[in-house]
Amino acid sequence: MIEIKDLHKSYKMGSNSLHVLKGLNFSIGEGELVAIMGSSGSGKSTLLNILGMLDEADSGEYTLDGVPIKNLNETKAAQYRNKFLGFIFQSFNLINYKNAAENVALPLYYQKVPRKERQEKALKYLDQVGLKEWAHHLPSELSGGQKQRVAIARAMAAEPKVLLADELTGALDSKTSYEIMDLIQTINDQGNTILVVTHEEDIAHMCKRIVHLKDGIIEKDEKVKQVRASAYV
Amino acid sequence: MFDRDTWQEIFNTLKKNKLRTFLTGFSVGWAIFILVMILASVNGMQNGFYSQFNDDATNSIFVRSGTTSKAYAGFEAGRRIQFKNDDLDYIEQSFPKDIEYISARYFTSVSARYGSETGSYSVQAVEPDHLYIEKTQMLSGRYINETDMVNKAKVAIIGRKVAEDLLKKEEPLGKFIEFNGLPFRVIGVFTDEGDANAERRIYAPISTFQRIYGNTNNVGGIALTYNPNYDLTEALEFSERLEILLKRRHKIAPEDQAGIGVWNYAQAFSDISSFTAVLNTIGIGVAFLILIAGIVGIGNIMVFTIKERTKEIGIRKALGAKPRQIVNLVILESVFITTISGFIGLMFASVILGAIGPTINTPAFTNPNVSSSVVITATIILIVAGVMAGFIPALKAAKVKPIVALTDK
Repeated sequence: MIEIKDLHKSYKMGSNSLHVLKGLNFSIGEGELVAIMGSSGSGKSTLLNILGMLDEADSGEYTLDGVPIKNLNETKAAQYRNKFLGFIFQSFNLINYKNAAENVALPLYYQKVPRKERQEKALKYLDQVGLKEWAHHLPSELSGGQKQRVAIARAMAAEPKVLLADELTGALDSKTSYEIMDLIQTINDQGNTILVVTHEEDIAHMCKRIVHLKDGIIEKDEKVKQVRASAYV
Repeated sequence: MFDRDTWQEIFNTLKKNKLRTFLTGFSVGWAIFILVMILASVNGMQNGFYSQFNDDATNSIFVRSGTTSKAYAGFEAGRRIQFKNDDLDYIEQSFPKDIEYISARYFTSVSARYGSETGSYSVQAVEPDHLYIEKTQMLSGRYINETDMVNKAKVAIIGRKVAEDLLKKEEPLGKFIEFNGLPFRVIGVFTDEGDANAERRIYAPISTFQRIYGNTNNVGGIALTYNPNYDLTEALEFSERLEILLKRRHKIAPEDQAGIGVWNYAQAFSDISSFTAVLNTIGIGVAFLILIAGIVGIGNIMVFTIKERTKEIGIRKALGAKPRQIVNLVILESVFITTISGFIGLMFASVILGAIGPTINTPAFTNPNVSSSVVITATIILIVAGVMAGFIPALKAAKVKPIVALTDK
């Protein structure tokens, strides 16, 4: 699903150049649930930006579902993001004047899906995250966990190939975090490919594989025994 | 474009910044208000000018004779030019294709008496064609005809006021009124809705008056209408040919303006049209300059709004919004503010004009109103203004990187 070969990225800081990613190689197959771990400065955010087509690598190859991601203009990148990727953010990033259903329907709006169909799909995904009754509530009327569930429903609404989650439990208490991870595991069980960026050990161990990043290289890439979050809920 | 989501977003941003939206919208509304008032005033002036003329045919030319101011062809300056009947025949023969109607005119005044009622009235002694040149509206009876001309008949067409003053409630047709002691039979009554003074006039055959007053062929002036299919250029060209011909016939220096005067409605119309066109242009120019202040204001508020919404725009882009879609949203929002506030300005102006317009009725200023062309002009200006105001903020919005969605505050 995701194929990365010899990925390099450096940032210019005045006259110095900061080499952030120093030749990464890895691949993620369909249906995997992968955690990318690392302390701040390890390059995990940069990697996520590149995987999310928000930034471009200096050299190396990135293939997503067989499509080479290279030299994209903004319009093309927007199209690919919409088609291939679903984003889940640490701070949920819901649009505060749109209710839950409208937030979930937003990626479909950019796919030019007709309004009625959008609404139906939005309700279907809200149902999946257990928030069907909250469809017409504004984000300000929802708890943090509920907001993240809406965000997950939104990420899934466009039926992307890969879900990219950036510190998705960073703003939640541990009980809610586990509930969210339980949901993530359920979605993964249905066959969705999910990539989670985190620096929390317990969250990482709820995935099936952990990629450890340190100073721009992959320190360790291991399969782990998945801890089911449902045990903690 | 006419998507519910798009409008939801526009309304939301406007709602969040009610006062800011109002203040900037006000400047645009104000500019349009001024624009409409100026255009309506120019329109009122134009109406005023035209209403002065509208009882005459718009394709008419009046020729009057005067006194030469330059020596020419052996004649001294100061010679009095007198038109005669054969001048008209000559004109008719010279321009058979150009002339529609032609009539000699002879102005005089008479003291009229009917029974014990008397009054002093101006008489226009004319030919049958004059009916069409002056666009006289007959109330009853008939106008002068060829038989009257040949017979030099003592008949008269009197204005409605004349009939009221002299005959009171009597039926005027067939009655005899004495003009300077000579009985004239009333054969028609005419009216003039625009001008009460015109109804104090009397028309009579010119041949009759020529015989009564010295048995001459003298003609006071010549009124004619040219081929109604002529455009302005053709009309002006014809009146020039006519002037050259008459000056040559009466041996007047070509540059002498005093000997003969040829007055052409087309010329007057075109002068007024170009005058009001200039006023219109100035008005639109002034209003546009004011509008620029409004455009800058709206552009300014939107740059701020975009800045506040940077994160939201980033999220949208991360979810797959194309730069174009963001640009469209911002420009549509800007066009929306300008159009709505502009139309409020337009509405206010219309209400004020509707209230005070009919009360103003001086000859030079009649019925100032908002024509559909003003509304169309204003609409186009507003949309253009909206696009201009939204352009820079929209580009700014399009440049927002989706990466801002990931940077958590």
